[in-house]
Amino acid sequence: MLDRIVEKNELLELVDELSRERTIIGPVPREEHYFYEAVKNVRELDLGFNYCVYSPKAFLFPPTETLFRFEAQDGSFGATPVLEDRPQAFVGVHPCDINAIRLLDRAFSRDHADEHYLSRRGATFIIGIDCPKACIEGVFCVDMKSNNAEEGFDIMCYPLEDDGKGQVVYGVMFGTKAGREWILYHQAGRAPSVKDERDFKQYQRQKEQAFPRSIPYDVDTLPDLLERSYDSLLWEATARRCYSCGSCNLSCPTCYCFDVYDELDMTLTSGERKREWDGCQLPGFALVAGDHNFRGKAASRLRHRIYRKGKWVREREGISGCVGCARCDRACTAKISSIEIYNQLAEEV
Amino acid sequence: MKPKIAVFSLTSCEGCSLAILELENQLLDILGAVEIVNFREAMTERDCDIDIGFVDGAVSTPTDVEEIKEMREHCKALVAIGACACQGGINSLKNHQNEDDYRSYVYGDGAKHFPTIKAQPISAFVEVEYELPGCPMVKEEFLALVKAVLSGQQWALPQTSVCVECKKQGNLCLYEKGIICLGPVTLAGCGAICPTFGSKCEGCRGLASDEALQAASINLREQYDIPLENILADLRFYGAYQEKSLP
Repeated sequence: MLDRIVEKNELLELVDELSRERTIIGPVPREEHYFYEAVKNVRELDLGFNYCVYSPKAFLFPPTETLFRFEAQDGSFGATPVLEDRPQAFVGVHPCDINAIRLLDRAFSRDHADEHYLSRRGATFIIGIDCPKACIEGVFCVDMKSNNAEEGFDIMCYPLEDDGKGQVVYGVMFGTKAGREWILYHQAGRAPSVKDERDFKQYQRQKEQAFPRSIPYDVDTLPDLLERSYDSLLWEATARRCYSCGSCNLSCPTCYCFDVYDELDMTLTSGERKREWDGCQLPGFALVAGDHNFRGKAASRLRHRIYRKGKWVREREGISGCVGCARCDRACTAKISSIEIYNQLAEEV
Repeated sequence: MKPKIAVFSLTSCEGCSLAILELENQLLDILGAVEIVNFREAMTERDCDIDIGFVDGAVSTPTDVEEIKEMREHCKALVAIGACACQGGINSLKNHQNEDDYRSYVYGDGAKHFPTIKAQPISAFVEVEYELPGCPMVKEEFLALVKAVLSGQQWALPQTSVCVECKKQGNLCLYEKGIICLGPVTLAGCGAICPTFGSKCEGCRGLASDEALQAASINLREQYDIPLENILADLRFYGAYQEKSLP
């Protein structure tokens, strides 16, 4: 059920107004690709974008951030937390990335809640844009059941009519109270008609045909498949090509591992505790005291990543650890492909 | 007493020594924490006692060999700074050329006055406690090392490749533009400065690992249609890899 019908120009006007209170982050064309960037003017945004090279994750969980500042003086020690909560809005997030944010929300909320992530997340308003078809070749979001987003957005915009020249009519669904209030307070658009609901059903039917499948089995059986593949020769055979550069991890919208370190000021009595992105494919990721590395070989690291994405995260969080955006596959200069691995394993066992 | 720091140069452009001076905002703080000893005086004063000696440049002449041994004698800790000191750097390009040729085109008629040897990293002659690679060295890394040594903390180079820093910068991978970049095999720490400004990585910080080079060897043969000589030439440019063929 749709909640509202809003035209793109009107939506952009609303976003323009929103930019007075929030930093606007959305898809911007650069070097023949799209990137999520903070914009000064909403006209820089291209909501008809196909695919962003990276997800908007870096605006919730930056590559490097300060957790707290510390100071030791005259035998006393003090620490001041550093929390970022400047209001921001993601304008134009596809379902794969919204599903990835849902996963990050769960990962950073469970057990010991991560106040640094949650502080940014709480200050983030998300405007989703649905994909009527697969955005580019190689994505497998439909196989991961991530090409639709049920939650994780404030509003979701379904492009019901698109004249290809910039005029787009969105069917809007509210995801949160904040999203509802934002649209209704501004009295944007109009209430959906019976025809709009019919168009929306038609849109969804067409969408089902517009995402070619890449794996020949239901992803719900992937954990079992992986369970049987632990000793497969595939890991070694594929990992011989792996640079262990971590590009797959670092371009993944659901990877959330980080490393923590201290950076001293020149006085050597004060400094910052920081964290930065880490990745399970990097050689030192599983290095522990005594110089023991319990995943010292690229093959065991590759298996670990595929297990996490296809099995462990799903078993723990209840949602897929992989959203099928294929950024890992594109980022891999050795052309190691996770979707190929999922397929080869199915052939093997 | 403040620790004594000295900066020495062997065969190089001394750009790495200059990189220290480029730490403009931190220089006064550094001078507050350490005493910087001028190297030329330091070498003649036999009683001088240096805590950390930073050396840029490759060992490329018989004089360099004598000097590096002398520096080692006077320094409690020796730090190789820059590609030349860590790998031989650009100087090592001559290692792949005929000696008479390069001596005559560099020194002309005066060649007989300038004996040279194969350009090598200083670790080929003396023990080195730390290496700060790169052309030039990364000044932030220099600062981090100084702070770690002064505070008695452990310090180590990253173990990762330049791709890590490129991704953190949010760059478009140069491979997407069809450019073969040495990022996947090159040691991180530079902040991916070259790819960030649109140039391919040329491996000035040396290899990330033997495994990465092994993977490159496989991938460039199996996945990419480019002459391996080009890659070898790129790897050789800063002395990251000097063998005649990929592993």
